Amino acid sequence: MVEKGDTKAFLRKMMPRVFKAAVLVGIVYVPVYFVSTLIRPLQSFFPWYEPLANIFAVIFTIFLVVGVFSSGTVFQYVFGVARTLVLMMFFICALNGGVVTLAVPTEGATTNILVDLRIVLAMLVLVCLLGIGKNVIQAIEFMSSKTETKETQ
Amino acid sequence: MRYAVRALGWATKTLWILIIVFAGTSVYSAMNVRMGFGEPQVFLSSGFVILSIPLFVNNSGFYDLSELNLTVDAMDYDGSLVSTSTTFVPLIPRGSSVETAHNVSISLDDITSDVLNYLFNDTIFNVDLSMKVNFARVIPFQVSMNKTIPWGAPLYDFSIGQISYDYYNLTHQRVLIPLSFENHSPYFDIDGIMQVEIYNSRDELVGSRTLSLNVSSHSTYEDQVELIVDISKLTESGEVHFSFETSMFSLGPVVIPYG
Repeated sequence: MVEKGDTKAFLRKMMPRVFKAAVLVGIVYVPVYFVSTLIRPLQSFFPWYEPLANIFAVIFTIFLVVGVFSSGTVFQYVFGVARTLVLMMFFICALNGGVVTLAVPTEGATTNILVDLRIVLAMLVLVCLLGIGKNVIQAIEFMSSKTETKETQ
Repeated sequence: MRYAVRALGWATKTLWILIIVFAGTSVYSAMNVRMGFGEPQVFLSSGFVILSIPLFVNNSGFYDLSELNLTVDAMDYDGSLVSTSTTFVPLIPRGSSVETAHNVSISLDDITSDVLNYLFNDTIFNVDLSMKVNFARVIPFQVSMNKTIPWGAPLYDFSIGQISYDYYNLTHQRVLIPLSFENHSPYFDIDGIMQVEIYNSRDELVGSRTLSLNVSSHSTYEDQVELIVDISKLTESGEVHFSFETSMFSLGPVVIPYG
């Protein structure tokens, strides 16, 4: 009876987290799918993009799911930092450090295209750093509130 | 600390929204910018070969295009610079278009003085074309391409045949110099005069003649130049000097030994 009650309580606790994780994975999948569809006509010029995006999407999703399941613990923030780091690395890799080059064969010649996205990349990295900072502060707050609770008890 | 977390949260969300909006509108704007080059045209104007590259930019996006810089470097087959030219457009506001032509001028006088070879031998010019533009003032964008343009020599295979001598009178002789060349230039006709001078082995002028030339593009010139010369000055060997004065270039003397 006790075991059955524990299982029920565990399921009651976990079900919302599973649902939340599923919704968040869906939300993450939409932009990844959208960008991949947008890039697909240019796949011959960026053959590395789709495998790279898939790898980073999987890693990001794992950290997202683990973060949701570990909510209520300090690991939630640790995984939050890891997730943001993965995102930051993805931006740096996908934008080739901010300088994207493309060679398009045209009639009897090759047209080279260079786009300098360093300012955009800097903005993205800044947002990721803000996210990391937020997670770190949240982790500190979480730990201090836990210590306070222990002291009160 | 809670306020700091909340502030960071709002700052992060706001920045994400701004970046997503900027990325979306940038992609949409970039797709609405039409930019291209027309077929390069080559024509001649007062001693210059002008390579004209039509350029059009239609900016119907959300952002301005600034500091458009078009540079064209023309190099010969061994990489030495023949010409460099730049066109600069400071601003193409959103919703407007620009149509211009970038002209690359190559002085034929420079060509004849520096690289006489171009008049007698076919070659290939390499044209490096580079266009830089700032998209929305934060995204520098560069397009570059390399094209080869064939150069046809206007005096290709310029040569004289076996010189023959005919009796004219007791003191003078008629000299016939077979002359031939091919105008390989696809761009211009040779229209002007050619002066022919014969010098003997003692560098004395034996005889001279001025002829008019009219050789159209992609055609062959074959003729005999007839000169009346003094028998007493004529030697078995010597030099024939050719000088050209055409609407496109001045050249000479081109020295060809005979005998």
